[in-house]
Amino acid sequence: MSEMTKVDTKEHVTDLPAGLGRLGRAIDRFAALTAVIILFVFFSFAANNFFTVRSVLSLALQTSTVTIMGIGVTFTILTGGIDLSIGSIVALSGTIAVNAALFGVPIWLSWIVGVIVGVVCGLANGLMITRMRLPPFVATLGTQFVARGVALTITNAYAQPAPEAFGSLGNENLLAMGPQFPGISWAVLIMIAVALFCHFFLNETLMGRYTYAVGSNEEAARLAGIRVNQVKLVSYVISGMLSGIVGVILASRMVTSQPNSAIGYEMNAIASAVIGGASLMGGVGTVGGTVIGSFVIGILTVGMTMAGANYFMQTVVIGLVVIGAVYVDRLRYRKSLA
Amino acid sequence: MADATPIVEMRNIKKSFGAVQALRGVDLVLHHHEVLGLVGDNAAGKSTLMKVLSGAYIPDEGEIFIEGKKAHITEPMDARQLGIEMVYQDFALAKDLDVAANVFLGREAVRAQLGPIRLMDKRRMEQETRRLLDRLKIDISSVSLKVESLSGGQRQSVAIGRATAFNAKVTIMDEPTAALSVAAIGKVLDLVRELKAQGCSIIVISHRLEDIYQVSDRMIVLRHGHKVCDCPVAGDIHEFRERVVAYIVGARDDFSKQIID
Repeated sequence: MSEMTKVDTKEHVTDLPAGLGRLGRAIDRFAALTAVIILFVFFSFAANNFFTVRSVLSLALQTSTVTIMGIGVTFTILTGGIDLSIGSIVALSGTIAVNAALFGVPIWLSWIVGVIVGVVCGLANGLMITRMRLPPFVATLGTQFVARGVALTITNAYAQPAPEAFGSLGNENLLAMGPQFPGISWAVLIMIAVALFCHFFLNETLMGRYTYAVGSNEEAARLAGIRVNQVKLVSYVISGMLSGIVGVILASRMVTSQPNSAIGYEMNAIASAVIGGASLMGGVGTVGGTVIGSFVIGILTVGMTMAGANYFMQTVVIGLVVIGAVYVDRLRYRKSLA
Repeated sequence: MADATPIVEMRNIKKSFGAVQALRGVDLVLHHHEVLGLVGDNAAGKSTLMKVLSGAYIPDEGEIFIEGKKAHITEPMDARQLGIEMVYQDFALAKDLDVAANVFLGREAVRAQLGPIRLMDKRRMEQETRRLLDRLKIDISSVSLKVESLSGGQRQSVAIGRATAFNAKVTIMDEPTAALSVAAIGKVLDLVRELKAQGCSIIVISHRLEDIYQVSDRMIVLRHGHKVCDCPVAGDIHEFRERVVAYIVGARDDFSKQIID
């Protein structure tokens, strides 16, 4: 056996030894988490009041929407695809939910209607990709325009005020205990629930494993008897559904329909996944990584704002972080590109 | 244990890709406990024929019988359920998944089902994969290593192990020794003999005539989508090699009437 191993190593001189590869991945993983901690410590000194319960809760609230979208887009990235339509789906589902409430539908039902709009958009994306064989980039880019256009058309580009009760989901806090602890918002709880469920889904269920398999080697997955189209469809439906949830949360927080909300959020979501170690080539990425990536962006944004940095510089810094993260991604997958 | 009914019988299989006729009416018979070598030049139709049997391609014409019963194979799952497993030339492994995940890909052990959501029994899959690797004497230190970190020989071992893990009746190996080191080739051929001894019927596609000579009972030679030879593997290796090459390049043809058609 040792002879075989020796000869085989010669065939693959360019490969990293297995141990080093695993160590490298472990370092990557720690690097992301370490980055969050370093950023946190840094801004605790650089900005007054950064390290307070209040601001941490505020950070969690602000980051929750992009985190949920990032988890959704992670599913599509894992299959080797992408979802550019999620920002527009957020606007459309929020808009339709508000209109449903204005139409007289019970508030709880109008929220569900918003989520269903997200599911339908995700289903449309999935069908275009699996049945019409459109590249995911093109299909979801189209949906980005269509969903935004429909939201603008429905509202005539105006923000419509929603019934007051519609705002309870986005504005009520749980466990509020005076000014020191304003409570945890529903959005943060939903984010935690979504993250836990999706982590479980990807790691413990057959469909989760197939999501990785399809992105890792679509042909192998097909030959193994996996229904590749079904797996892709599910990933786009999940992405759309989570965007629908975010749409309802945002509309509820504003207590209005905002046809112009969430413009460009898909890029923050994709950036979160990429910073968290997802490979745009598919097959690699985790819910935990995406959550960390999203919080890296969130901490940078909130921290720089509180430290008094120029607002426009924040965008520059986030861009550089994304480039740096993708560069690390490239280094890791250099051998599979070669 | 002679069984008159062949385990696989393919009749008059035709398959075209656009204007290219890859298979022009090929018959193939595989008996129980037999190793059949499938030989031919590039684009002779070997891989296409085997992809038809394994469900990766749907033939334009022709019939397949498994143990005498007509089979309708329209996707890989159909073939798999009939006990036909294929080891693909390019390994067909998901490099980002670990060894156990690849061995069980598409037929994961299920520990519980909650509506449409099925939960994997990861521990059982890991244990069974470990047992499989030990039984086949495959040297991989951990079943939770990602496939991308394995050598070529190790990957091929995983691919073969995966194909044979579920008591396949027929195992098809497409160029199992291509891209392998000499030592690794020896291991793979040992594995083929071991599988035959355990009662498996095997079809081996190979460019390496030495491999066919060493492990096969019978061989079929394809040329331009036709069968040109179907005979037992026997005799001296040099004589064997000369004979096979004559068929491959078209100097000999036992079924020449079909070519004129």
